[in-house]
Amino acid sequence: MLLYLSSLLVLFVIYLMLTGNGSLSNLVLGLIVAAIISLLMPKNTPMLVRIDRLPRYLWAGLQYAVVVIWDVIRGGISTARIVLDPKLPLKPGIVAIPYGKKSELGSAFSAHAITLSPGELVIEIDSEGNMYTHALNVDETLAAAEAGQAKRTRLLDVMFDS
Amino acid sequence: METVQQIIAIVLLVLGTFLSLVGVIGFIRLPDVYTRLHATGKVSVFGLVFLLIAASILTPLTAWKGILLIFFVLLGSPAISHSIASAAYKAGVPLVNTKRDDLKSKLERGSGKDV
Repeated sequence: MLLYLSSLLVLFVIYLMLTGNGSLSNLVLGLIVAAIISLLMPKNTPMLVRIDRLPRYLWAGLQYAVVVIWDVIRGGISTARIVLDPKLPLKPGIVAIPYGKKSELGSAFSAHAITLSPGELVIEIDSEGNMYTHALNVDETLAAAEAGQAKRTRLLDVMFDS
Repeated sequence: METVQQIIAIVLLVLGTFLSLVGVIGFIRLPDVYTRLHATGKVSVFGLVFLLIAASILTPLTAWKGILLIFFVLLGSPAISHSIASAAYKAGVPLVNTKRDDLKSKLERGSGKDV
């Protein structure tokens, strides 16, 4: 039931965004389409979005977005500087960033945030939860990794792990 | 109001085009697969995001559609960069001028299979 309602909500929101039309007939049609698709989902689908955690998602998700966007801007500026510098000051390498054993969804989101910020690219995650990250500037990534990972982990724990 | 919107859109257009340009320059200048992925897979994607915001301001395309597109692009592009880099590493594509490689020692310590 929870799975059904959660997928119904997500599909309904996406339908409304795609059509961009708030009239009553469109709302009803969107609800019907979302309901039919939700009914077709297999029972054992892993639950990505849980409707009962919606307030938590909104608050922690907003903070998480701010943290990630800040990382992205910082990384974007330093990457653009490396690329446009005539001397091309590269220090590429692969560093292990520890994350620890968490839920699959939490690790996936953390890896996604690291990979999203320019200059860092997760290549592999091992069974202990270390993220092997390719970095354009090894020193900078190592210096920032610990604090950034801790900030993200706290917010992701609120959303998915407790 | 109209002019304010247009000015914002033009600033975003210029920024997006600049970032796309940086992505292409990086693709030409950087030495190997992994570093090039940083330029094309990230910087260019953010160029695309800014261009999409500008497009949803300037054109009659509904703004929600643009936001949804941005969401899916941001969700998808890191996955693509990761899988290309991972495949390249497992296929043995060499890293140029590397300062440090933690994954290599890990792979040698194990049986050489997937971590």
